[in-house]
Amino acid sequence: MIGEIAHFLSLSAVLLLSLVLIFNLAFFFTKIHPNQLILSMRLFNQACWLVFISFGIYVYLAISDDFSIAYIASHSNSQLPIFYKVTSIWSAHEGSMFLWIVFLTAWSILFINSLDKSHPLKKLTLLMLSVIILGFLLFLLLTSNPFERIMPFGALEGADINPVLQDPALAIHPPMLYLGYVGFVISFSFITAYLLNGDFELKWEQDIRNWSFVAWIFLTIGITLGSWWAYYELGWGGYWFWDPVENVALMPWLAATAFMHSLFAASKSNVLKTWTMFLGILIFALSLFGAFIVRSGIIDSVHSFANDPERGLYLLSFSGLITLLALTIFAYRLPALNSSKLVVTGSKESFLSMNNILMITSIFSIFLGVTYPLIIESISGEKVSIGPPYYNTIFAPLILIAAAFIMISVDALWQRSMPLKALLITIFAPTMLSLLSLYLIWQVTNIFSILAYIGIFSGSLILCSYLTRTINNFFNKKFINKGSAIAHIGLGLLFFAVSMNSILSYEKNLNLAPGQSISINDSVREFSFNDIRVFKASNHDVISAQVSLLQDGREISLNPQKRKYATRGQITSESAIHASVLKDTYLTIGDQLDNGTWTFSLKINYFIKWIWFSAALMVLGMLLTIFKKKAS
Amino acid sequence: MNQSLRFLIVILPILVLVFFAKVLLVDEDIKFSNFESKNFPSFELNDLNGDPVNTESLDGIKLINVWASWCITCLVEHPFLTQLAEKNIQIIGLNYKDSDSKANAWLQRHGNPYLFSIYDPRGDLAFDLGVTGAPESYLIVNNQVVGHIQGELNQTKWETIFLPLITKAKQGS
Repeated sequence: MIGEIAHFLSLSAVLLLSLVLIFNLAFFFTKIHPNQLILSMRLFNQACWLVFISFGIYVYLAISDDFSIAYIASHSNSQLPIFYKVTSIWSAHEGSMFLWIVFLTAWSILFINSLDKSHPLKKLTLLMLSVIILGFLLFLLLTSNPFERIMPFGALEGADINPVLQDPALAIHPPMLYLGYVGFVISFSFITAYLLNGDFELKWEQDIRNWSFVAWIFLTIGITLGSWWAYYELGWGGYWFWDPVENVALMPWLAATAFMHSLFAASKSNVLKTWTMFLGILIFALSLFGAFIVRSGIIDSVHSFANDPERGLYLLSFSGLITLLALTIFAYRLPALNSSKLVVTGSKESFLSMNNILMITSIFSIFLGVTYPLIIESISGEKVSIGPPYYNTIFAPLILIAAAFIMISVDALWQRSMPLKALLITIFAPTMLSLLSLYLIWQVTNIFSILAYIGIFSGSLILCSYLTRTINNFFNKKFINKGSAIAHIGLGLLFFAVSMNSILSYEKNLNLAPGQSISINDSVREFSFNDIRVFKASNHDVISAQVSLLQDGREISLNPQKRKYATRGQITSESAIHASVLKDTYLTIGDQLDNGTWTFSLKINYFIKWIWFSAALMVLGMLLTIFKKKAS
Repeated sequence: MNQSLRFLIVILPILVLVFFAKVLLVDEDIKFSNFESKNFPSFELNDLNGDPVNTESLDGIKLINVWASWCITCLVEHPFLTQLAEKNIQIIGLNYKDSDSKANAWLQRHGNPYLFSIYDPRGDLAFDLGVTGAPESYLIVNNQVVGHIQGELNQTKWETIFLPLITKAKQGS
């Protein structure tokens, strides 16, 4: 019964949103009624609240183990802790789509109510947001209804959440990612409204600035959490796999990063406005593309949900429709938009535009990497796999050029060209320092890899230029943009850590019987497999190995586990990780062989924590930027 | 210039849309309906442990699964293969264009559902067999290739394509 109420509330939201559309379209042809906006706003707000309440009830149903609801019955279990009963809602397609829509609604209601009543774009933005929410609500209710009952009798017990998803990082990874994805609905709707409205004297940058920045923060956290979760829970041992689903999250992130930068240029010196609008539309279009890739089952991936062509078609048509709508209006208004103001060569915004081009190039390369196998398959029927070598080769040169431009732009000025002498001074110290660090790394490690060295060099260029600049400014008591400096240092650190990780990390496969011990190399002098134990935990059986390592003169104890979950019979591998500042020691236990020995995979991962840390720096830099602007 | 740019901004997304719609709408079943059985190509290779294997190792009903450690989709279908192995389906791996150390490490980490895996680093056997990539699966009945699936092997494909063939083969014998 309660389930039906929630279902009914969602349907009512559909009705109210349709009313918003009908009213506005009807008034479009007649003269504007003074109360039109007030009425639409009321209907819209009520629709949003209905969605929230409906989701709230759904959470209650999940907590109270209502297994007559098909979705809850197949993804939750009465034995689960309450926390995972709630997170089981977004462990598969229907529920996660519901959450996606709740976030979409939340962003929309917050933004539209923050706009002043007399804001000239309020009505059109409201209209755009209503269309988008309505489209996705219909998608949910028509093709992926989470409220569906098992008729005539419900299940007695739920089928349990997939054990790899029973993890705190995973519980927050999808919500963060979705908050980021759908947050860009604001820039999308607002820019489309601006283009529809046709008054190009209007200032629009400030209204969506912080909204987009906050969405960017969520997207960054979401992607980082996903990478972290894959590293320590999935037992993949790496942090990034160029999996299609990772790629479709990275594309909007790159577009959003480019958007933020050009938004700066647009508000500082009145250039790149058209380009910024295009990016604002592109981010959300790419987010929708991501939703389509993951939820249509068109690409095989560890992330893909159940395959259903009907859903894919609906998502494709609806996402395509609103993207095309926005782009058509953009193309139509393009001649009127072109500002006569040109970017000054050698100014800050010129370097910024160059990096914008690089970011678009990376987006296109990733897009090609994701779609190329599909294109080849549909032409010749052949299956091809595109893996890390493709992306590494493409990204290395792009990163190097981007780093060079970031380095120069540190000292460049808005709207003014940079004198050659100043440019040379700017690049001298960082380049020399970076070459020196490359030489030192080569001397210490004795390893050479062209791609990794490009990455290290690029990372150090950024790090060194910001460090010299910070020291300089500290002594000359000059202003430095703290947010930007911290975020870019984060980026430099990321390039550096990723490259160092790729050349230093190694993997050993071992084969030992309990009680045996062997020596591996100068760093890991002794690897002792002391004992293996089997015991029962609440909903799974555990095989736990007791391993001690003598690493760099210190004794480390590691307990990698294998778990067999009772309900689904699924076996998961829990890696044991010992973390130090420079490296992680990562141990996974494999199968038992016929002769009674067990297989282990020992991975030494260098600089892996620095990768998460650099992402945290970028987020921190962004936060500083938001709060600095609010204070001024 | 401006005109063509405006044109492109609208046309390119339309092309992308049409392409994806086409990919979505292609009926997968057409690919499998007209499969002609053929002899399994003869070969002399080693398995991943270094022991020699040849055509004689493929008697009875066997599922040949083409996989590689670099193949992400193989990781996706891996749990399903493990389920099949638990139901006593005999699966033989064809390790395709891979290195034996990486392949063995991959099996250690994710479990080994295969009776053994034929090690085919240059893709010789795969070429004779007509493999286009990984993963692919073949159903072999007494050295005859009777069924073929490209891409991920899952419950649906197993039930609709391979299971009827196995039932037919068992009735025939």
